[in-house]
Amino acid sequence: MHIPDGYLGPATCGFFYGLMMLIWMAASKIVKKTLKAQQAPILAISAAFSFVIMMFNVPIPGGSTGHAVGGVLVAILLGPWAACIAVTVALVVQALLFGDGGITAIGANCFNMAVVMPFVGYYIYKAISHNAPFNSNRKVIAAGIAGYIGLNAAAILTGVEFGLQPWLHHTAGGQALYCPYGLNIAVPAMAGEHLLIFGWIEAVVTALVVKYLKKQAPEFFEEG
Amino acid sequence: MLKNHNFIERSIMGALSFFKESIFAEECASQKGFLQSLDPRIKAITFILFILQILFTKDIIVLLCIYAACLLLAKLSKIDLGFFLKRTWVFIPLFSLFIAVPAIFSIFTPGAALITWRVGGITIIITRQGLEAATLFVMRVITSVSFAVLLSITTKHFALLKVLRLFKIPQIFVMTLGMCYRYVYLFIEVIENTYLAIKSRVGIRMSPQRGRHIVASNIAGLWQRSYQLNKDVYKAMLSRGYSGEPLILDDFKTTLIDWLWLFAVLVVNATLLYLRYRTA
Repeated sequence: MHIPDGYLGPATCGFFYGLMMLIWMAASKIVKKTLKAQQAPILAISAAFSFVIMMFNVPIPGGSTGHAVGGVLVAILLGPWAACIAVTVALVVQALLFGDGGITAIGANCFNMAVVMPFVGYYIYKAISHNAPFNSNRKVIAAGIAGYIGLNAAAILTGVEFGLQPWLHHTAGGQALYCPYGLNIAVPAMAGEHLLIFGWIEAVVTALVVKYLKKQAPEFFEEG
Repeated sequence: MLKNHNFIERSIMGALSFFKESIFAEECASQKGFLQSLDPRIKAITFILFILQILFTKDIIVLLCIYAACLLLAKLSKIDLGFFLKRTWVFIPLFSLFIAVPAIFSIFTPGAALITWRVGGITIIITRQGLEAATLFVMRVITSVSFAVLLSITTKHFALLKVLRLFKIPQIFVMTLGMCYRYVYLFIEVIENTYLAIKSRVGIRMSPQRGRHIVASNIAGLWQRSYQLNKDVYKAMLSRGYSGEPLILDDFKTTLIDWLWLFAVLVVNATLLYLRYRTA
């Protein structure tokens, strides 16, 4: 889901950089207020955690493997604003140092994976697990549903961003200058694979990790 | 995101290839080549100018010239071209090429027919507009990826992260990026060791369901270790003088070559900009 350079036109890249500037400023202020001084390194450690979640290969039926993104999981564990900063830092490191995701597309990638995915997932998790007794399985199920919907929301938005390119940037003769497929192709292509395969990987990983942590480290869920 | 092979083998191989690539990138950054000799700040600015130029360019010939310049810069920086081409073409540009191929046909991009086939009563047409759009798209992606990779392999990663201060990014972000970079290595080593331990104790054959439980328990375990690490790191920071506001040492130096390089890149970019608006 990391958008490389060259897929999005200058207007889209500029728009998402501008939007993310405002979100990053708000996130810094909110996190600075809520994070205690001794928790200063947790953002960096969480960012590294977000980075390496993608290196855990998950077996799926048929002998293949896939990986989760982990944006919703980090949001459930840290809250959506801290998750926004942690996932942003992981995405910047990936784009700048490892060529995973484009430099001009950092704004769009951060909006999809560090804003939409954690916020959508977090509030779905909160809505479903609201008032759930600690030893009920509702939190685990809520985490799975939140992971599935959060990832798919981000994937569909990525499809919309791709699909808008031929409409936003084209020559006088109608030739596309960036991603060549319109909404009718880009959105189903992105949604299809995520709704059918990757969404389920995200759901299973998010639910199982919440299940393990609930058992081994219940302090992470005391306030929820 | 979908790959074959066993998930334990795959995770170990992933960790090893991450370390191998990082060591190779550091070796490239330590070579005595042209780009390695530049001040990282000037280099980052000029590379961003090139990447922006690539983003705005609508001409395939200009993109080809910029790509040729990128390969020349790689050669001048003592980067093995075979390695560089492999590193830049595999995965993103090849994937982009794969997804661009359908766009050359009239069903996706209507326009003037270049080649027409009739297969079993169906007419297949490759259009000029489709071919141009697909070529422009793939060339833009490969040229951008090449510049981004060249920047990252000719600059020490810590210096590249410190350069972000130039763009007025708050120090807290720069500090977090630097710390995150260190922990990525630590955590990947933890993953490698964990999977090696699983492989040596229970082997690699297990049901997908059991495998998913193992992965989830490992992610949960890593999170717990990360959270506990926070306390130790904070104490270490305090003992080294951290008072709530991060301080980052600035050891960059510019030379005459840096300013000449910046001037040359500005002239090239201004010329391309002028030519683009004159032909528009």
